[in-house]
Parts: sequence; structure tokens; C-alpha cells
Amino acid sequence: MISSATRARIDAEIAKYPVKRGALLPALHHVHAELGYVSHESAAAIADIFDLRPVEVMEVVSFYNMFFDTPQPRHHVRVCTNLPCSLRGARTLLAQIESHLGIEAGQASSDGRIGLGHEECLGACAYAPMMRVNDRYHEDLDVEKAKRILDSLE
Amino acid sequence: MSVTLTIDGRGVTVRSGTTIWEAARGAGIAIPTLCHDPGLEPVGVCRMCAVEVEGARVMAASCVRLAEPGMVVRTASEKIERCRAMLTELLMSEQPDVSAKERTTADDELHALARRYGVRPRLRRGAARPRDDSSPVIEVDHQACILCDRCIRACNDVQHNDVIGRTGKGYRARIAFDLDQGMGDSTCVSCGECVAACPTGALVNKPISAPLRPRAELAAIDTVCPYCGVGCALTYHVDEAANRVVFAEGRESPGSRGRLCVKGRYGFDYVSHPHRLTRPLIRIDYPKRALSSEVESSRRERRKPGGIVDYDEVMPAFREASWDEALDLVASRLREIRDRSGSGALAGFGSAKCSNEEAYLFQKLVRAVFGTNNVDHCTRLCHASSVAALLQMIGSGAVTTTYGDVENSDVVLITGSNTTSNHPVAATFFKDAARRGTKLIVVDPRHSGIADHAWRFCRIRSGTDVAFYNGLMRVIIEEGLTDADYIAEHTTGFEEIERAVKAYTPERVSGICGVPAALLREVAIAYGEARAAITFWGMGMSQHVHGTDNCRCIISLALMTGNVGRPGTGLHPLRGQNNVQGASDAGLIPMSYPGYQPVTSEAARARFEAAWDAKLDPQTGLTSVEIIEAARDGVVKGMYMLGENPFLSEPNVNEVRKGLAALEFLVVQDIFLTETAEFADVVLPATSALEKTGTYTNTDRRVQIGRPALAPPGEARLDWEIICEISTRMGYPMQYDSASEIFDEVVSLTDSHSGLRHDNLGATGKLYPCPNPEESDGTVVMFGDGFPTGDGRARFVAAEHSGADELPDAEYPFILVTGRVLEHWHTGVMTRRSRALSALVPEAFAEVHPEDCERLALEEDGFVRVRSRRGEVTLRVRKSVDTQPGSVFIPFHFREAAANVLTTDKLDPDGKIPEFKFCAVRLETADL
Amino acid sequence: MLRVPHVTNYLSEHFADDAFGTLAGYERYGGYKAARQAITGMAPSEVVALVKESGLQGRGGAGFLAGLKWSFMPAETDKPKYLVCNADESEPGSFKDRILLERAPHLLLEGILIGAWATGASKTFLYIRGEYAFPAAQLERAIAEAYDKGYLGKRVMRSGFSHDVVLHRGAGAYICGEETGLLESLEGKKGQPRKKPPFPAQYGAFGMPSTVNNVETFCHVPHIVAKGSDWFRAFGTEKSPGTTIFGVSGHAVRLGLYELPLGTPLEEIVYRHAGGVPEGRRVKGVIPGGVSMPILPADQLDVPMANEFLRERKTMLGTGGIMVMDDTTCMVRAACVITYFFRDESCGQCTQCREGTGWLNKIVNRIERGAGVPEDLDVLIDVAGKMEGQTICAFADAAAWPVQGLLRHFRADFEQHVHERKCPFPESFQL
Repeated sequence: MISSATRARIDAEIAKYPVKRGALLPALHHVHAELGYVSHESAAAIADIFDLRPVEVMEVVSFYNMFFDTPQPRHHVRVCTNLPCSLRGARTLLAQIESHLGIEAGQASSDGRIGLGHEECLGACAYAPMMRVNDRYHEDLDVEKAKRILDSLE
Repeated sequence: MSVTLTIDGRGVTVRSGTTIWEAARGAGIAIPTLCHDPGLEPVGVCRMCAVEVEGARVMAASCVRLAEPGMVVRTASEKIERCRAMLTELLMSEQPDVSAKERTTADDELHALARRYGVRPRLRRGAARPRDDSSPVIEVDHQACILCDRCIRACNDVQHNDVIGRTGKGYRARIAFDLDQGMGDSTCVSCGECVAACPTGALVNKPISAPLRPRAELAAIDTVCPYCGVGCALTYHVDEAANRVVFAEGRESPGSRGRLCVKGRYGFDYVSHPHRLTRPLIRIDYPKRALSSEVESSRRERRKPGGIVDYDEVMPAFREASWDEALDLVASRLREIRDRSGSGALAGFGSAKCSNEEAYLFQKLVRAVFGTNNVDHCTRLCHASSVAALLQMIGSGAVTTTYGDVENSDVVLITGSNTTSNHPVAATFFKDAARRGTKLIVVDPRHSGIADHAWRFCRIRSGTDVAFYNGLMRVIIEEGLTDADYIAEHTTGFEEIERAVKAYTPERVSGICGVPAALLREVAIAYGEARAAITFWGMGMSQHVHGTDNCRCIISLALMTGNVGRPGTGLHPLRGQNNVQGASDAGLIPMSYPGYQPVTSEAARARFEAAWDAKLDPQTGLTSVEIIEAARDGVVKGMYMLGENPFLSEPNVNEVRKGLAALEFLVVQDIFLTETAEFADVVLPATSALEKTGTYTNTDRRVQIGRPALAPPGEARLDWEIICEISTRMGYPMQYDSASEIFDEVVSLTDSHSGLRHDNLGATGKLYPCPNPEESDGTVVMFGDGFPTGDGRARFVAAEHSGADELPDAEYPFILVTGRVLEHWHTGVMTRRSRALSALVPEAFAEVHPEDCERLALEEDGFVRVRSRRGEVTLRVRKSVDTQPGSVFIPFHFREAAANVLTTDKLDPDGKIPEFKFCAVRLETADL
Repeated sequence: MLRVPHVTNYLSEHFADDAFGTLAGYERYGGYKAARQAITGMAPSEVVALVKESGLQGRGGAGFLAGLKWSFMPAETDKPKYLVCNADESEPGSFKDRILLERAPHLLLEGILIGAWATGASKTFLYIRGEYAFPAAQLERAIAEAYDKGYLGKRVMRSGFSHDVVLHRGAGAYICGEETGLLESLEGKKGQPRKKPPFPAQYGAFGMPSTVNNVETFCHVPHIVAKGSDWFRAFGTEKSPGTTIFGVSGHAVRLGLYELPLGTPLEEIVYRHAGGVPEGRRVKGVIPGGVSMPILPADQLDVPMANEFLRERKTMLGTGGIMVMDDTTCMVRAACVITYFFRDESCGQCTQCREGTGWLNKIVNRIERGAGVPEDLDVLIDVAGKMEGQTICAFADAAAWPVQGLLRHFRADFEQHVHERKCPFPESFQL
């Protein structure tokens, strides 16, 4: 569901746009900030707020890599594997992280702490390999540095 | 403005705004396409229709690119054809091994292209995509989906059901329903428009009553949907050897434009149900009594929670007989009663499900042979009050314009109509209008589907319509929004209205109706300021003891603002049954002969006495509820029931039971052994609409031909033939060679129909009046230049708010509202014998507001006992905020919990319609 | 925060000073003078004319003339007009907008302000990719500073001109970098590119006349206004004036950003500035402008980095993201990575893009695994050829070009895989 605080944030976003729907992506960001994903209830509530068909909300949620319609682990760890990073060993690093965490890319640790995945170019090409942990970039990684960062996640 | 361009070397001139694809098609050049369908907005995503435009860097999708002057287009160069072959290959590579469409109707458009281009994919398909089997009528195979979006546009732009979308991105994209649920778990209403639009095997129909087979092997029968008054044109695809309809498709028509709803598309299989009557039956079980446990008593313990009659329980009361024996018995008993007790001891119920020809012959039999005007049909239960008000005020009971005319309106008032359930295809046009920005004002105590599309929804309290509309009219007068010229030129009695509505201030009305005064004002001003406003209404207006007053108010509203007689304006009571308009037109009502010529008029009577060569009764006959009462009181002793099931459709079933049981002789002519037939002495097996030729007149006044798609089962006979046989055996020979000949007789006596013949109705019928059927589709807008009222003027009739007959009190604190659901029809005789429809809604339920459920400890899907002063029923609970707190909604289709056990038989004084929309009940938890 | 460029010029001159990112710091270096000059001293048409004269090309990849684009905005209209800043930098190999966002947010805002004045836009939607959380925070702060100072909002710099900037975060979709995909996304929809016509100048954001420009494009504008078009034209080539910020990634020795005039020879960037590849290795190929742009083999690095020269080599400047690959590199693996990306990021509307990207990826994967057959190369060329010039947007072209480029210059790599039924480059980067 959507809390009144989130609802207020969504209303503030709506005020910025000439057409209400413009605030849909910001609203979904707020829903993620609160819940970590868009539940069916939130999707229905968002559809209501924005006068959309439920499936239109799901279309948008499913189109963007940063939106989810299922509950998410606490931390999103994404290793960039696009060409500039791959040229500098990103895939090797990802394999090492996989074995360190005991999960494969696309999976989450059983304690719900870390969801591991690979991602397309994040604009850190000269500082490869790199990974994104939630909103933070970690660049110029080697496996030891990556492990330290991962191990420090709550 | 026209545009001339060159397509494949030929000069082509088209209207400006035409796409290249359309321009080519007009010139006889077919450009292949997958995502485009002329009935849908083009999206240009499949790229199959891409063409070369000279001077352009890239190829253009011809379905979206507009023709421009001087454009030079090539539609089929070698490069283009190679690209199309590649697209076909790309799509084919992901297709399942067997296309569900090829396996069924064998008309997969992608496979046709693959054959055309000789494509054999060089690459194997990737990860399997899922199938979705959750809908009872539609099979979804995401593997076969080519993401052309046709289903999405069919769902959202054509039907406005807004269920289908496309989730995911790129290769993970797939069609999705609502919150990405299974189709059967979504709000899908199973209209099947998506299946009709799908070019591949991604969406195919499940078999209904016969295995799906290639289209080319089936006979295509163009006819009319047998359900509601919208009268959708459709085609049945028939396996003639098996005598089964395999599937149904919408057919292009100026009215329904190819659209269908779930009943039309999937509800045809009742005609092939094993319960069909195939031989005449004569009762052997006397004294007469109800046969099935549900009919015997609503209190009795039920063996199963729902369902249709158990023939084992009822059939032993009858024996099979020959037609001759049965017909002779019917004729002799009816004649004997007439001769012994007088013509008034006989009565007949015809049916709005039968054709104009059958309705006409039936009333002719009752009037000319029985000698009485005691003939009626279920119009009494639906729009009798609307017709009474319309006849009184504008001199004609038919609609003044079509539902499609809504496209010319800027304000639409929809009141007392659950349009999306009861007139689903008409509703699609209202939703179209709302999408285009037309202001939809919905006035209703229930939040029905159409309210979702409303510009303003006025949720009035049940039974407060008169107050609401008087308030509306007061605001319009106060704001100076009346059309003084129109009032002066076309009406009389406006002062009466001005006086009457004075007391209805918005604040007072707000107190009565529970609608904010500001909303009332806003809506009144919108309606008053409209360039063209149109009004549609349904049974929420008519089925009240003040039903005629309700209708008077909306007629006055339209008249005072000049909203009759121009495109986009008018009065349209949405007719319920496929031929309720036609049956009334044909005289199947106690007060008039065909064409609404009053039986009390000497001139009219003389006309019909001459035409029929019989002495006719000058007295107006009894109406349907009155006939049942007269039967109970022993006044009416013999009845002929053609296709009606009053046991479930009339109010206060316990009284109906007494009435039917008291009849000395009852003959029922029907396709199934109905609840009413349990009281019959003779049951005659009739033919369904799918088995005979006849005309049906829809809510728009469109007279359309129904054609036989199937052979009747066993010894079942054409209804008009049976009427003729009975008539002849009663000493009044009736002899016709065809339905067409009967229609000619109807037309000869019904001035509004003059000029019409079966052979000039064409593929999609004609809107009467249609003086020139060879040239014209008929008349859309009526009364532009006056009304058929003698002085040519409409007459204002004022009404006062009076309230319902039986108000809630401490003992019976809830308001019962009865009605229908999308998936079922009337007394369920047809729809509950449809595989798909009964799977979608298998049993009776009561819709109760969640707050009331909580207060009364009612659980979703648990049982509730609903009790009125007249009886009680037990049925499942459905929580819904669509019903107001303090109200309960029960659809009346279900014999195991007949809503009409509860309803009151109090009548509107003018329309003689019962108050189905209001009575007092109490709710209790129950176990079953 | 991204490290400052190894070579700086007018755009990046003050990047080493962290204060440059603040309003006070930016103003210390003369910031917002150009905007004041434009708004208070120039007619909008004069600004458009000046930018036209400067020959500034859009820096988002397509290289369309910025002044010309501005001139498409209808002058007489009763509709609100919008400016849209495309900060959805997602082209693999590109990170130049990121540094501008992080270190020069006020330079961007000043460019936007001038663009808004020139085009009569009442509002700018600044669409930043969702993953750029830190740059977004920098911008948010900068926008707030600008509002506080009266540089945004009602009556900008006490003129009669008002302008709002709305920062809009994307949510992870490469296609939103396409200008109409971006507009759809801005409107709260899937980022599916629109059919054109109509073009954004007629029917843009929320259906209103709009102009979409890249971050870097805006950043050149204050300099052009302040110093004139002749000054600007002194940088770069005749047809491609000005500098750009090249990003060098891959196997080069000195990775990072280089602000250099357009027309700088690729070999100068790769060898002189970026130090070539490590000792003992040789350059095998270089992608000159983000993965969408066809690769150039080592013997073609003499090309000046400007579209008029790159086009002759069947490639383009793109975003100036230069990827250097040394001789260990398996070009089939490179194709695997690139085609995987395009398969993942196709919006899925057009058939040949949605399905074709998948085909390309499947076939190169199969070749890499050693399971390819000789005909596979023809199928690749066939499919890629039929993805070009036929779809709603240029994404399909962008997916086809790199495959075509790799086959054009490194067909031998592919053939060797098929012939040997395995990857012949054991030392190549891992997949």
C-alpha cells in the first residue's frame, strides 16, 4: 500500500507536470523507496491516483530495469558487463562475486541481503570493472575490493 | 482536399489524410500487414507493410504514413519482398510447432505469409513462452504472439474494457492482463474481441459446442444475435454435418459495427443442449403441482448450490405425444374454456425473444381466435412505463434516435442503465464517446461499469429519480438554459413543469437524493449548455411504481432544452430483449394492435376486423401481472405461453406459483422445459432463433433478418407454424407459406413499416421508418419537424417525488435492487445452458456492501438468507462497493434463488410495470 | 565523482576546482554572464542565429545542427513550449555527460536557460538516467541554488522571462536516450519511440512543441554566447566546430576523458593521449563513438574524429566514447557482448528489431561456442541488412551497424571460429 507520506510526495510530483501522468515514474520511484517494489496493491493504488488502467502501470513497471513487481532483497548489486567493462575483466569479476556469495547473477542471497545481477553500461567505462550497489557506484574494482564492499552490506 | 500520388506506377487520388496503405487498397493493391486491421488505429510496428517512398532514406510503414501529393511509392520491389520474407522468418522462428489457429480455424495470417514467402526459419526458437489457460473461453499462447498489439487495441479502443496491455521490454515483451494476471483472473469480460483481432494462434477461442474446424469447411450464416436489444449483426460458422455452431463472429453493420459481447460470441450453444424439447409432451401427473424442488418452494433444502433443472425430477410428469394429439388437445381445451367461460377466460403471453412474424401471429390468434386482448409479454416488465410516458408525451414509444448517434452528442445522460452488462455493445459506443471527450453523466444508485467512464457520476438513492430530475430542471430553468424557441414551437404545457419543479431546490433535492447540490448544479448546467444532449435509460428508471413519472421527467428535460429531433439528441430507452421493440410494434400488448393502434379506437378496430375477418374485443386487455392475478383468482382459466417464463420473471413468485397452479389449462411452447412449464398441461417443442427465419427489431428500430443456422432438433417445429396449427384447429384457418409472407401482412397493417420486405432488408436490416429501403438505411433521427400527437406538439407532463412502495423499516432494513449480470440472460433458460456463460457465473449471488457484510458477519462466498414480506432465498455473498450500504443487489436469472420470490407486485399505475428495483428485505447469515 | 579529464579545454577548464559545481564557484569563473547577456541583451532570434552560425552539432550521437533544431520551434503558438535536456547517457563507452552533470551542473543550467530564452520555452524537463543518482543529486542542488538566486523560476534575472526546470529521473532503459522514447518516458509511459512525423518541434513533450538537446550540447552554448561564433569555429573542423569530451575505455593505457577539438585524429587520441595499449600488445580495433558505431581496424586510426571523415569509413562520431581493443581481443566475443546489449534493450515494438537483435545474438553466441556454420555469416549479414532503415527509430540500425562493422573488418575472426569449431583467442577477455 501507499503511505500518506508517500502519497504526499506523489502529489508534489504531480504538481510539477502539465499532465498528471508525467509524474508516474517519479511516483514509482517513491513507491520503491518505501516498499522496495510495486506490489499489486500499490499498482492498483497508483492506477487509481493516475487514472490509468492497471495494466498500464504494469507495463511501465515491467519496462524499466530499476522497477520491480516482486519483493526485493535489501541491496541491489549490479556489475556492469558491457563491452568497456568486459574488456577489463568484468565477467571474471562477476564470476568471482558469484562464487563469493554462492549465488548466480539473477539470484538473491537466501537471507534476502543481496540481489546480484549484471547490468548494462553505467557510464564508468574508464574505471572498469565497476559495480553499482543500490545508488552508489564502486569503480576500479578488483575482487578483494568488491568482497570488502559486499561484506560490509548489512 | 485530395492528394494524388503514384503507387507502383499508377496515379492514385485519395482524400487528404488517407494512409498509403488505404490508398493502395483503394487502388486494388494489397499490401501485406500483420499489426494493421482497418478497424483499429494503426500502430506501424510489425513493419510488414513498409514500402519505399522515393527520396526517403528509410522505408515507411504504409499503414501509418499519410499519402502526400506527388509521393512516388513502391509497394512490392524485390528489396521490399525480401524484407517481408525476412520479417516472416523472424516471427516464424519463435512460433510453436503447431499454430493453435491453424489447428482450429486454419486462418493464421502469419502462416499464410510463411506459405507465400516459402519461409523455413533458419534459426530454432528460444526459451519457451508460457500458455495461459485460465479463461473459460479463450486460450492464450504467448509463444504464438507476435506482439502486433491488435488485441490491445481491440480491448482498449474498440470495447474499452481496458484489460490487455503489453508488459516487459524487447524480447521479453508479452501481452498481459490487468496486474499481469492470468486472463481468467483478470477483469476480462470475455467479449472475445481480442480473439477476433488476433492474426496468429496467440489468442484462440476454446470450443463451445463443437470442435473448432477450418473456417473454409464451415457454412457461414449471416444473422442476428439472439440476446439483447442491441441486435448485433453476427455470422455463425456452422458444421452442417454435426448440426452445430462452431464459432460466432461479429459482422459489419451500421449499428453494431462488428462488435459482440460474451453472450453473442460464446453463448450460442444452448440451442444444442441435451435438454432441448424434441417431441410434444402431455401431462400425466395430476393434480397439478410444481415438479422440481426449486419451483415447489424456495425454502426447501436444495440438493446442490445452483444449476439448471434436473429433468429426471420433472419429466416423469409428462408423456410424449404426437403433434396431432397434442395440438388437438390444446385447441379443444382452449376452445372449450372460451366457449364455456367466455373469451376473457383466456390469455396469452408471447415473447420478446420471438420474431416479429411470430409476435404478430400470436396476438392475432389471441385477438381474432381467443377473442380477447389479454395478450402481453415481458415488455410489461421492462419498458412499459417508458412507453407509457413516451406515448403520452411525444406520441411514439420507439426511440427517437439510435445508440450510434451518440457520436454526435456532446453530453450523454445515462440513467438507470447498467449498460456495460445489459447492452454491452451499445456501451462500447458510449465509452467511445467518453474517450473522445463527450461528457458522460451517469445517474444511478449502483456503481455499474459505465460509471467508470463517466464525466460525472451521480449516485442517487434508490427511488429518488423524480426529485433528482425535477431539481435538474429547476436549475436549468433558473440558469436560463431552456430552449425557448423549441418550447414555443414544438411543445405545450411548459408552465406546468415550471410550477412543478419550483419546490425542488438543489439543497432539498440533495437531501432527498444524497447527491451534493453542487454536483446537481454542475450536471444541470452541463446538460443545459450542451449543443446536443442525448439520454439513454434502462430499467433503473422504468421498474418503479413511479416508473412512468421517472420517464416523464427525463422526457421533459430533453424537451425543455430542445434535445429531441436533431443529430446527437434524443430519447433512447435501451430495449432489453432482441425483439422487445418488434413484439410491441407487432401488437403483442393488451392495449393496441400492430403499430400502436389502440384497441379502443373504433377506426383501428374496424381496420383489423376487416383485415382479419373476425370480431374483435373493444376492451383493453389485462397486462401480464394482472393476468397472473386473474389466473390466481380463477378469472383467467386457460393460457397459451409462447417462450415466456413468468415463474421467474414476474414479481412475487409465490403468488405466480398460485396463479399458474390454478389455471385449468396451460400450454407452454418453448425450447426447454422451463419452470413455468412445470405447470403445463401440454408442452410444445419450439424452435430457437438459430433455427428459423424471421425479423427482429432492435432497440434502434432496426428491422433485421434472422436466418436459420441449424436444423431444429427432433420434431421441434417452427413457432409460427404451431400458432397456425392451433388457430386452424380452433376453427380459424391460418395459412402462410413463409415468414416473409407473414411479414408482408404485418407491414400492410403497420404504417411505420411500410415499404419493408424480407428481400429489401439487406444484410444489416433497415431502421424504420424507411420509405425507400432500396436506397437508404432508414431513419436515424425522428421528430425533427413535430410529433405524432395530433397537434404535432409534445406535451410536458409534470411529476412529483413520491418514493417507493415498500420502504425499509426496522424489520426489513435493506433495499433490494434486482437486475442482471453480463453473462446471463433473463431467467437463465438459455445462458445457464451455455457452457461458457454458466462457467463464468455458475450460480446465484447477492451483492452486499463490505460495511454491511462486516456488520452482519457475512463472508465472501458464504451464504446469506434474504427475506422479504413475500418470501426468502438463500444465496452466496459477493462483497462489492458497487452496491450502496443499506442495499443488496440480486440478479434474477437464478432459479435456485429466484430474486422474484422477494420482489413486490405493486404496479406503476400507468405502465403497469412492477417495482423490481425496490423492496424491503432483511439479511441473515445462513448455512447451506 | 568522476576524475577530471586528462586534457582539458573550455568546457572542462575548471573541473579541477570542486567549487565550480556550486553557484558561487561557477559565478567566480564568470558563470551566468552569458545567460544574462542573452536574456537581457539579445532577442531570441539573435541567439538562435548565433548558435546557427557557430555550427554547433548536437553531441548526443546524431550530430544534428543545434541552431537549426532550435529554429524548428514554432515562433507563433498559443501552446506552451518545452525544452528537454537529454541526460539519459546510456550509450556503452560514454561517460562525458556524467562529468558535466557532476562537475558543471551550472554550466548545463546556464546553457538550458539560454536555450529556453532562444526557443521561448517555459519549462525544461531534465531527463536524467535513473542510475545517475549522484549526478542527479548534484543537479538537484544546483537547480535549488539557481532558483534561490533568481536564475530560475519567475522573472529570471529580473527580466520578464520565466523558466522552470523539472528534474526527471528515468528508471533504467537505454531506449529512453532516443529522443521520442525519452518523451514517452517523460510522459510516464513505456519508452517506446514515437512514429515520426510529427517531430518534437510540432508535437513533443506532453504534445507541446519541444526541443530535445543533449547535455554537452547545452554546455557549449554559454561559451558561444559569451565568446562568439568565430571564437567557437576556431576549434575543430569547418563542418564540425568546437571541442568534445572524448571518453577512452578498453585496453588503452591512460583511460579517462579528453576534451579535444573535433577532427583530432583518432590515432592521436589513442596513442598520444591515451598511451596506446600496454607493452607487448598491439591495437586490434577501435570503436570510435559508443558501441552503436562500427569498429575501425588498427590501420584506419588516421581518421579525424569528425563525422564528415568518419562517414567515409562507414562509421560515425556517435557520443565520442572510444573503446580500444588490443590484439588479444576476440571480435566474436565483442559481438556477443554488443548483441546481447541490443537484444536486452530493444523496446520491442518493431518486429525486425525485437526479433532481429535476438537472432544476431543467438548466431554470434553459436559461432563463439564453436557451433557455427559457414552460412551463419551470411545470415548475420542478411538479418543485419534488413534491420537497417525500416523501423520506427534508429535503434535497429544501431544494433545492426556494429555487427556489420565487425564482419567488415574482422570477418576472419568469425570464419576462424566456424572453421576451428572453437574460439581461437584463449587470451581474450572472458564472457
